[in-house]
Amino acid sequence: MNKYSVRLLALITVLAVLAAACGPAADDPETSPTTQAGQGEGDGESTTTSPDDADPEEEPDAPKPTVRAAIVGDEGTLNPYTYVTGFPGWNLLTMQYDTIMQLDADGVPQPWLAESVEVSDDGLQYQITLHPDVQWNDGESLTAEDVAFTVEYFLENPHSRFTRDLTGVTGAEVTGDLTVNINLESPSPSFPLSALADVPIIPQHVWSTVTNPEEFQFEEVTNVASGPLKLVEYRPDQSYRFEANSNYFRGEPAVSEVILVQFADDTGALAAIRAGEVDVVFRPVSPEQIELLDAQDPIEIDQGPEFGSQILLYDATKPPFDDPVVRQAMSLAIDRQDLVDTVFLGAATVGSVGWIHPVQAAFNPQVETVTDVDAANTLLDEAGYADTDGDGIREFDGQPMSFEILAPSDNSLRIRSSELISEMLTDIGIQTEVATVERTTLVEAVWPGFDVSQGRNYEMSIFGWSSPVLADVSRISSLVHSDPAIGAINVTGFSDPEMDEMAAQLTVETDEQARAQLLLDMQTLFAERLPFIPLLYPDGAYAFDSSVYDEWVFVAGQGIVSKLSLLPAAARP
Amino acid sequence: MGRLDLRRIFQYGLVLFVAVTLNFLLPRFMPGNPLELIAGVDVGLLTPEQRAQVVAEAGLDLPLWRQYFQYWGDLITGDFGFSYRSSRPIVDMIAERLPWTLLLTFASLALSAVIGVIAGAVSAWRRGRKLDLSFLSSMIALESLPSFWLGMLFVSILAVSMGIFPSFGAETPASSLTGWDRFQDIAIHAVLPVATLSIVSVPGIYMTMRYSMLEVLGEDFIRTARAKGAAESRVLFGHVARNAFAPVLTVLALRLGYAFGGTVVIETVFSYPGLGRLVFEAVGGRDYPVMQGAFLVFTIAVLIANLLADLLYPLVDPRTRTS
Repeated sequence: MNKYSVRLLALITVLAVLAAACGPAADDPETSPTTQAGQGEGDGESTTTSPDDADPEEEPDAPKPTVRAAIVGDEGTLNPYTYVTGFPGWNLLTMQYDTIMQLDADGVPQPWLAESVEVSDDGLQYQITLHPDVQWNDGESLTAEDVAFTVEYFLENPHSRFTRDLTGVTGAEVTGDLTVNINLESPSPSFPLSALADVPIIPQHVWSTVTNPEEFQFEEVTNVASGPLKLVEYRPDQSYRFEANSNYFRGEPAVSEVILVQFADDTGALAAIRAGEVDVVFRPVSPEQIELLDAQDPIEIDQGPEFGSQILLYDATKPPFDDPVVRQAMSLAIDRQDLVDTVFLGAATVGSVGWIHPVQAAFNPQVETVTDVDAANTLLDEAGYADTDGDGIREFDGQPMSFEILAPSDNSLRIRSSELISEMLTDIGIQTEVATVERTTLVEAVWPGFDVSQGRNYEMSIFGWSSPVLADVSRISSLVHSDPAIGAINVTGFSDPEMDEMAAQLTVETDEQARAQLLLDMQTLFAERLPFIPLLYPDGAYAFDSSVYDEWVFVAGQGIVSKLSLLPAAARP
Repeated sequence: MGRLDLRRIFQYGLVLFVAVTLNFLLPRFMPGNPLELIAGVDVGLLTPEQRAQVVAEAGLDLPLWRQYFQYWGDLITGDFGFSYRSSRPIVDMIAERLPWTLLLTFASLALSAVIGVIAGAVSAWRRGRKLDLSFLSSMIALESLPSFWLGMLFVSILAVSMGIFPSFGAETPASSLTGWDRFQDIAIHAVLPVATLSIVSVPGIYMTMRYSMLEVLGEDFIRTARAKGAAESRVLFGHVARNAFAPVLTVLALRLGYAFGGTVVIETVFSYPGLGRLVFEAVGGRDYPVMQGAFLVFTIAVLIANLLADLLYPLVDPRTRTS
């Protein structure tokens, strides 16, 4: 095996530089990714337009195209229990399956399978009236029974995502052929976004016989669904073939077929679109590739803000990082615009010290993100972190302020950011060394066992959350609360009574205005106490061949990998 | 015919035991946690109870020694388990990918063996002359090429820029070709990966052949053959090459075993749906059952290759025959 490991090592290290350099611009490892900010137009920033480009929509008789899309890695048989990744796995899943609500291009949930969704005054009941005439792709009708069955099925058969989405649901009651009520234990203001627009409705007549979905060996035939695409062929590690569902209840899809091609890495996928072997890459293109791809006709780039993040972590339970002054000084010393320009070549948005993305409705414009090295030095001087031995490094508790920043070896963007940050921090007398480690090793140090109650084994680290963490602004509570039951992803061990109170309040507050105010206040407090340092939000850029298909829709929260991209404009919400 | 005595069988058994044990231990000693894969997405947002349930279902809460015994028990009963990542049976996953890896391995080994042996023989025959020196230096140059780099170069020039070959995959995606058309499709997709694999493995075979030839060329019986006036080509291929071939055979057999591992890089570069790519993805995500299954296949391949060398050697070189 020796030879193998040596080669694999060589591969990992060098591909880390070459391939990961072309890695996803979305800076999103840990959980599931994807999310486009509220930037509805989507292609507002795409620059190339070939003049002789015929719009397929203008010619009603033009045959509908077959679109070949590149993905990285295998996604199993792509049903709710077998898809693998949050992105693009879940997105591909929802091209076959429908949800009660569907995010529109602005990322706002709109009734989809439902004609209407009403919430009771106490916030404990969602009353759903389904669209009539929805059919499963095997010809059966989709009814309220299927919706109730779906809710119960996910509650009974644990599924990491959909069961969690439905946490707090006590049950679903069918009140008519097309009407169903979903009852909650306690009000959950983000339920439409986190559950109704997330959980795929599955057919009772197929799934009622599947008693153990964790071990059940699904075949394509299990993918009976109501969505615009129907899976007809799967070849492991090679390809998927989907046919358009011409009876789709929202309108016939604008494509005739989608062929998903699986690649081992980004490099392969980008080579293939440049060679004309695929028509779109279902993965954000890394910043340094954007220009290269955009320059090649007929490839175009659809670019916009995303909710993935790049953040700087520290162990906030240990000195000196338990002192908000040190955290504040570091934040002031970091020139985020420099990171955006130098590392991301402009394809990112400067991170807000209040965490929430500036394009989000909940963003607090009063929270200002500034760079001020002098102010940072003054803060540290006043707090008594002096450089007593004159070596240019401040001391705390008699030790030099000298730390290690962990960076993931497979993400060159984060490595470069860490190196820049390391330089910036020397300006305030904090010495850091970037230690590059394998991604899984880093995650294990930062977040042992994916369980924050197990503590942490790092000093500083560059990190990033996938887009769902930021997309649902109420998740801020899980980032900052000191109790792991609420602060499930508080990986810095940050603890602040005032913040705890607000975070706990946010999880129960149902009044919309009060929630909005709470979110504004939390951002102000976040900027002051800094549970971690938000650095930037990488933009998403997707490459597609405009001569084959150019109706890609940027959906906030989903990027272009959405069923909306496959539907004619009239059928979109 | 070489004989498999008890001691030999015991040796193979011991190697297999150690290898299987290492297969079990190595993935577990790698830092990192497979929970992310087993639980699917958003692992951090599981409740502690949900997390415990997931861990228990995967058997990861058991002490290591119990997992180890369970592993042996499962192996003996032919149960390789299920992938954490895709929940599919490992046996199926390996069976789907093995043919592609075998295709690359055998095609490239055959190609590089023919080229390596002929070039090595000719080179040794012309020892010290221009031909030998140019062969030797170009082989040394080739040997130093990293295979992934060569592969990427091929993709970039022959596939992307010139469009002569497909840049990825084993077949045209989701094609419905059958028979001869499908064969052609597979063949054209295999050209670049096989070429890359062959190019990096030719030098080793060439060197062995050349060195072995030089040894034989110095032997008395060659002088005798020449002295009795045998034709040049008959001396080269009938006497020298034939006798020099035994060490090369060993190298080839061993390469056959290692070739499985060597395809990891190439299958990744060309997004080829073989075992190597399965391993690459499994290692990245700590998919223990898949890693174990694939490593076991690699181990068995190396053992079979060794066995093959042991058995074939006496056929080629009568001196090693025992009575």
